[in-house]
Amino acid sequence: MSFVRIAAVHKIYERRGEAVHALAGIDLEAGFGEFLCLLGVSGCGKSSLLQILAGHEHATSGGVFVEGKPLDGPHPKAAQVVQDHGLFPWMTVERNVGFNLRARRTKSAEIAAIVRRMIETVGLQGFEKRYPHELSGGMRQRVGIARAFTTNPHLLLMDEPFGALDAQTRSLMQAELLRIWRAHRATVFFVTHSVEEAVYLADRIVVMTPRPGRVRAIIPVELSRPRDPTSPCFIRYVRQVLGEIHDDVLNLLRERQA
Amino acid sequence: MPPARHLGRHIPWGALPLLLLLLAWELVSRAHIFPDVLLPSPLEVGRAFHEEWWLIANAVAASVLRVFAGVTLAAITAIPSGLLLGRFDRLYRVMDWTIQIFRCFPAIALVPLAILFFGIGNKPAIILIWISAFWPLLINTIFGVHSVERGLLRIAHSAHASEAMILREILLPGALPAILTGLRLAVGSGWLTVVTAEMIAVRSGLGYLIMYAQTVFRADEVLAGMLAIGFIGFLLDLAVRAVRQHVCRWQEGLVIAQ
Repeated sequence: MSFVRIAAVHKIYERRGEAVHALAGIDLEAGFGEFLCLLGVSGCGKSSLLQILAGHEHATSGGVFVEGKPLDGPHPKAAQVVQDHGLFPWMTVERNVGFNLRARRTKSAEIAAIVRRMIETVGLQGFEKRYPHELSGGMRQRVGIARAFTTNPHLLLMDEPFGALDAQTRSLMQAELLRIWRAHRATVFFVTHSVEEAVYLADRIVVMTPRPGRVRAIIPVELSRPRDPTSPCFIRYVRQVLGEIHDDVLNLLRERQA
Repeated sequence: MPPARHLGRHIPWGALPLLLLLLAWELVSRAHIFPDVLLPSPLEVGRAFHEEWWLIANAVAASVLRVFAGVTLAAITAIPSGLLLGRFDRLYRVMDWTIQIFRCFPAIALVPLAILFFGIGNKPAIILIWISAFWPLLINTIFGVHSVERGLLRIAHSAHASEAMILREILLPGALPAILTGLRLAVGSGWLTVVTAEMIAVRSGLGYLIMYAQTVFRADEVLAGMLAIGFIGFLLDLAVRAVRQHVCRWQEGLVIAQ
């Protein structure tokens, strides 16, 4: 049975008095421990879908089921990583990483141990007492990832987490994310608009259409990890995915120029 | 940093205009533009300080204690109210107009009422300070809560943080810079109010001292009292700023100036 089932999800919201049809009947299933990338041009509703999965927003119709139960609000076994890292500026790295555990009233000795382990996992030893603004963008994102993994999430929701990073830091973080994911095994929904990122990370790539968002294609990436972005098979996947979104990108460009 | 700016860093430039004012005062009093009984020289005022130091010290102590009592009461009441009003929008919408109307009463307009209700003495003075310090604290606390990033609350909801934890770990620390700005304003307006109240409703303190000195035509004591008012107000402000700098360490380097 699938771990997450998204069934006929529609999302219509209002913006400045106008109804915006963000999602138009999304059907999608993810197995436990599967890494899914949601890919599409900007404004295709992939972030809306993630907000619904996070339990922050409700589908206008249709629903999300986790382990067969309908989702109503944030799932206790879910964790989130957002693009602007979502760290609390007044908390040190240590306090930030421990936040989700404190929210669960974990014993403080246990929190300290888990926090120490996760800080080591993301390679931030020595920065425990720093405040977020004293860190680089990549380091902040590591703190966000460390925090997300402290509670052993079964469902990890990532909304363009590496979008604001430079190319080098980005590829480093991707490799690290895969390493941590393999150790912890969570079902991941990873929103991105980078085709290379999707091919590098995903078990399956879900290509979405422009608004109203639908699933255009699901492309399983059958490459063993670690993947080499310069290999011919990798590039073949990139080309295939690009082919799926090619027209959308062109249309988007045309719209912006008009 | 250019060396010229670095050079003058430890010179208390803030004293310069004060010294110039002192000089101007000395010159005006030497020129005998006003009769000596109206405008004594700085030296004579200094003598008044020397001769009446016990009287002045007692007056300072009485005034400072009243401000301390009033501002403490204001902090205990205004900060929790502000956190709740900032957190719960419906409550805020109900209370908004009332707050905006009541904060418009200047303390001096409330003196007659305070005397009617509480007679002469500490009680009306402290209550007036409480009221005048309450509004800046309340409004800044609400503002502080409203300025906390919405995304951080989503993170907290995802983590299933309790309402108490949200208040303690997010809203209070997030609002703290604004709260301390409120405290600065509160101490300032408390200090203004204590002098006003002491001129009418109490028979001790700096306000009483200068009113009394005026009735016995001691311009030197009036000026000595006024200097004390300004100087103590300055020290109180420095104290609040020091507290703010300590409590909001996490902002260091993040904002232009604390």
